[in-house]
Amino acid sequence: MVDTQRDVPIKSALIEALVVMKIVKHCSSQFPTTATGSIVGMDSNGVLEITNAFPFPTIDVSTTDSHQNDASSLAAAAPRAKANIVYQNEMIKHLKEVNVDANNVGWYTSATMGNFINLSFVENQYHYQRENDKTVALVHDVSRSSQGALSLRAFKLSTEFMAAYKEAKFTTDSLQKSKLTFKDIVVEVPIVVHNSHLLTSFLHQIPASPDSAEIPLPASLDDIRRDPAKIPAHPSFDTLDLSIDPFLEKTCDLLLDSIEAHYTDLNNHQYYQRQLTREQFKITQWQTKRKAENAARVAAKQQPLPEDEWQRLFKLPQEPSRLEGMLNARQVEQYSKQVDGFTASITAKMFAVRGNLLPE
Amino acid sequence: MAVDQEHFVHLARPLAPSAIGFSANTAPLTVNIQPQAIFSIIDHAVRRDTKDTQSTRVIGALVGVRSEDGSDVEVRSCFAIPHTENEDQVEVDVEYQKNMLALTLKASPRETLLGWYTTSHELNSFSALIQNFFASPETGTFPHPAVHLTMSTEAGRAIETKTYISAPVAVNAERAAESCLFIEVPHKLNFTDAERVALGGVAAAAETETRAAPLGTDIEGLVQAFETVSDLLERVSGFVGEVLDEERDGNHALGQYLMNALSLAPKVSNTAIEHDFNNHIQDVLMVSYLANTIRTQIDLAQRLATAPLVASEKEGGEKGKDGEEGGNKEGGGGGRGGRGGRGGRGRGGGRGGGQQREPREPRENGE
Repeated sequence: MVDTQRDVPIKSALIEALVVMKIVKHCSSQFPTTATGSIVGMDSNGVLEITNAFPFPTIDVSTTDSHQNDASSLAAAAPRAKANIVYQNEMIKHLKEVNVDANNVGWYTSATMGNFINLSFVENQYHYQRENDKTVALVHDVSRSSQGALSLRAFKLSTEFMAAYKEAKFTTDSLQKSKLTFKDIVVEVPIVVHNSHLLTSFLHQIPASPDSAEIPLPASLDDIRRDPAKIPAHPSFDTLDLSIDPFLEKTCDLLLDSIEAHYTDLNNHQYYQRQLTREQFKITQWQTKRKAENAARVAAKQQPLPEDEWQRLFKLPQEPSRLEGMLNARQVEQYSKQVDGFTASITAKMFAVRGNLLPE
Repeated sequence: MAVDQEHFVHLARPLAPSAIGFSANTAPLTVNIQPQAIFSIIDHAVRRDTKDTQSTRVIGALVGVRSEDGSDVEVRSCFAIPHTENEDQVEVDVEYQKNMLALTLKASPRETLLGWYTTSHELNSFSALIQNFFASPETGTFPHPAVHLTMSTEAGRAIETKTYISAPVAVNAERAAESCLFIEVPHKLNFTDAERVALGGVAAAAETETRAAPLGTDIEGLVQAFETVSDLLERVSGFVGEVLDEERDGNHALGQYLMNALSLAPKVSNTAIEHDFNNHIQDVLMVSYLANTIRTQIDLAQRLATAPLVASEKEGGEKGKDGEEGGNKEGGGGGRGGRGGRGGRGRGGGRGGGQQREPREPRENGE
């Protein structure tokens, strides 16, 4: 029984509304600093049920008076920090006493416009996934959620990437062999939001439906203003917001950053290539010289010198890791998909506006 | 967005026993509850242990922030506390409460203990006992009053929440510990923008049979919003039509409101709209096009970087040459160096370089 369960990979993540609320609350209150926390739940037949979440302790940066980036990077590294592992275990132990599923099933993090794919993310997820394959990273995009549609996604590292990361080998050769591309780094797990019965009945209460079918008509304009109509939370009319430019601009900025990173990466490789060629050239020179020398020695009836001494004399430069570049490529893919999504919705909205202002 | 529960006349609140030097504040108290706390309580109520204990309710602690004068209380989160209750005694795991509070406060240092909640509306002597525990100076919220939140979680009934604070009252000193006077105080459910968005996703799930729904894409959300809006417009125009046909009495206030709304439509000439529309849509599409070009470029770069070298010997020599070329270019001019370098490594340098140039210039215009 246990064995059969172990073999089923995670097909989807079932997230309780409580978890959604907790994560959204934590992430938006910490914004723009990165917020991280742990999620608990259980795995049942390929569906990962996530039933509770709690934030990691905030690291007090006010004492060192450093700026915001440090707080962000500290928070981003929090899931694998030693102190937090202790905290997490302690918290889970306590949650167990009140009948909460006491298995850690991963962690969550906040993101801005999808900029979450970086080394820190991979390291965190590797840290969790190494011990338990059935863990996911929930990413809540605070900026995108402010547009009206909740952006919460679940990711895990692919098995191939896990294997490669374990070896820590990301050279050209190893990538050729494993056929690992940047598209294979993370796998997205579809998310389903789930409510308990009690919660469903609560949700149907807010906003409360009118007491009778016929509501009294307002007596004056002020009556309407004082008691505005309560709009249900779903579907959210915030999605009809027309201002897209700030989001596009921010994504473009981030894209530019990624291109910068790409160039840096390329330059590193360029440097490595030149270094390698130079060394190889030197080796060839040395070998020809040694051959000529040996020929001379043979001619002079002397013992020839060993020809493989170059391995000691010259050292080939280390190839820089391809991981940065791969992550960067994945990040660019993420951005451009995001831009596609924005474009799709904004064009629809724009045509709607035009149709409204310019009736046929 | 705030969901008011009911209208309240709040005259004064009971005086708590005041410490020396602390002037008792008799201003009205308002409790703001964040949905996260409500969700937690509901979750706890669902997960209660029905086997070991006879109690029908669960209890837990409320954590949040208090305004400086103590007149505004915001419940931000809460945690469950195991307890057992039967006819003649109640046990609360005090140790658990202390540890859990410490853990919670570690993650959010600005918050404090505010009070406690339970999942039935009944106020009995056990409630008083627990209330006095939470209001006491050593373990509770003293000198501020402890907030007691009750929530009815009976199946098939509407979920109601009530909040109380308490004042000590007793017939004699021995019974002071187990009696107190609960005074109901007004409370509100507060949603921030971010939470409303989350609530949208959760509410979508509430409307399905299975009580579960996948998170939709942006486009799906948009479609639903459009449909709802056009549905609402339909209803309004239906109402107006009925009034015009004299099937129904008109209403001045509503008429005025609709007129005001209609007058918000901007007065812009058609050509200006057409012009702006075309401009903006071109910008948007350009950004999208460029983003995708960049993606293709990076994809290509990654592929070339790990492409197997077929004719390695010959390529090797060429590579060296190209590399040097790239190096020279790099020395020549900052940004282009990278491009030259890329061509050098990627082979077929001419084409690679040409394509790379394309996204770089227009992208800057596109911004």
